[in-house]
Amino acid sequence: MESALPRFVLNSEITRPGSMDNTTRRSSAAKPTGESTDEDLMADFCHGSQDAFNELFLRYKQPLFGFFRRRVADAAQAEELTQESFVAVIRASSRYEPSALFRTYLYAIGLKILSAYRRKAAFRATFTGAPDAYREPAALGNLEMEYVLRQAVGKLDRLEREILMLREFEQLSYVEIGELLHLPVNTVRSRLFRARLALHNLLADPTPTADAEQARIEESA
Amino acid sequence: MNTIAEHPVAPEQIMAFFDGELSAADAQNVAAHLDGCSACASLVGQFRDLSQSLTQWSVALVPQSVEDAVKGFAARTSATSKSGKPPAPFLFGIWNGKFVPFAVTGIAACALLMVGVEISDSYRNARIIPHRSEVVELPNKDTDTAGYDAPASVPPSLPAQSPMNVATPAIAAMAQQTSALDGNAAASPAASMQLNSPTTSAAPMIAHTASLAITVKDLSAARASLDAILARHQGYAAQLTVESTANFPRSVTASLRIPASGLSSAIGDLKTLGRVERESQSGEDVSQQHTDLAERIKTARATEESFRGILQQRTGKISDVLEVEQSIARVRGEIEAMEAEQTRLEHRVDYATIELQLNEEYKEEIPSAAFSLRFHNASVAGYRNASEIVASIILFLVQYVLSILIWLALVCIPALLIWRYRKALSRL
Repeated sequence: MESALPRFVLNSEITRPGSMDNTTRRSSAAKPTGESTDEDLMADFCHGSQDAFNELFLRYKQPLFGFFRRRVADAAQAEELTQESFVAVIRASSRYEPSALFRTYLYAIGLKILSAYRRKAAFRATFTGAPDAYREPAALGNLEMEYVLRQAVGKLDRLEREILMLREFEQLSYVEIGELLHLPVNTVRSRLFRARLALHNLLADPTPTADAEQARIEESA
Repeated sequence: MNTIAEHPVAPEQIMAFFDGELSAADAQNVAAHLDGCSACASLVGQFRDLSQSLTQWSVALVPQSVEDAVKGFAARTSATSKSGKPPAPFLFGIWNGKFVPFAVTGIAACALLMVGVEISDSYRNARIIPHRSEVVELPNKDTDTAGYDAPASVPPSLPAQSPMNVATPAIAAMAQQTSALDGNAAASPAASMQLNSPTTSAAPMIAHTASLAITVKDLSAARASLDAILARHQGYAAQLTVESTANFPRSVTASLRIPASGLSSAIGDLKTLGRVERESQSGEDVSQQHTDLAERIKTARATEESFRGILQQRTGKISDVLEVEQSIARVRGEIEAMEAEQTRLEHRVDYATIELQLNEEYKEEIPSAAFSLRFHNASVAGYRNASEIVASIILFLVQYVLSILIWLALVCIPALLIWRYRKALSRL
């Protein structure tokens, strides 16, 4: 399975920041000795192992829920999308082929379901008014920093925001992000760099508008 | 953050180094550079701070209900797959939630289109009330006997025959041929008269009269065109008067005679001479008059024959003979007068009369010194023009506003929905 992994991930000399959801990555890139990889577990589940799926679910329930929760304003909707994603994995298990990392496969399903949800929500909003994201404030808790972060990330360009979130929260590599978003790796890297610059400036001075920030980014680039 | 243009390592490479996305060789180069470059090291520090800041965006734990539902579904699916094939999705999975909104929108659009077409057809078939200045066109007499000039007494079962054609020589000749073939027709003048008479046919005899008042720009040109129209329609001017008086517009008053069959086209041609100010048409049924005349002529001829018989067979005094001859002369005079009247009636039927009045446009020359008068006229003309424009706009709106609204709805509503959809999608 190691042949399917990007070389530079294996050669990384920098310890990645800890997972946002306190979930240990157990893909084949960081497979502890004696523990099954995600791909092995998925293969076992495809052969009917219920325990394998339970282990996969245990590993990814919280990251996937975080994936949706940070992108959807409604917590209940995020739960539903999480459940729908796992159901899709179960239903598609008969057609699963281990050509990529399981987490890439899982987040690809999550992105598709998220896109479908956004299309439906936008379609409803076309006739009923503003989407839910605007009726319900995005702030989750009482932490001011959390609210500031959500607001600052929301001001980023849509594609750059997605790349940044996939990198920072889902801990995906550049190659995985490129596969998910159908972008070249160089584009992912440049967009991620711009997103980080923009987010850094927004967090340093949250008052400027997104357009002014974009102009500043272009000047610095 | 700095751009570090002068540094051998690009900022994006430093970011990739921070993310662990560089190869070992590149990572060593970047690490060596970072050891000696405080600016690049601070960039790494900024990336690290940013990532640590983002860790504060925490997410609540997954509810137990989600876990139960997913695991339960997995167990059921596993049991199903062991027992056999899972049920095939409805319509091969095409019909799922993704297509429902589009299907509903498509069906609604089709229904709206059908309703629009139906309403359009119903309004298209609605009768349009003619304008006061317009005149209902004469029905085509070659094909329509139920026109406005057909009397109500004419039964609908009558053949579709033009009243003008009834007394035509062709039909009379045909009737004579038929009579000759039958062998029953007497060669007497009375029988011939009856065949020639329109009373042999129930079709009415209509004498058409039309009146036109037209304002032309150039009366001379209009006069030439009038002659051309008369020649083209094989008509003639029974009376024509040209008036030309100083300080008054020139005019032509004419009484035209046009073959009744070409009346409609002749009127159409005359309308092209200028602006039609007045138009009227009428039709007079002279069938009864013609029939009465024919009967009276028949009686008078019988009386004349009686007198001639008396004169040839009886003998008497000279005074009696003279009195009989006077009676014959009187009856003969009456017969000739009635025959002339009959001929005139038939001519009125065969040739329609058009009372035409052509008026030349005339603009009175205003003395240049009379500025106030010119100003007054200009203001009046301006007011009229403005009124015309307003009226035209109102009429245009009344005539086309429904179509415009429909087109606006067809174009703007989908555009608005697409715009709102894209806007909502960008917000999510």
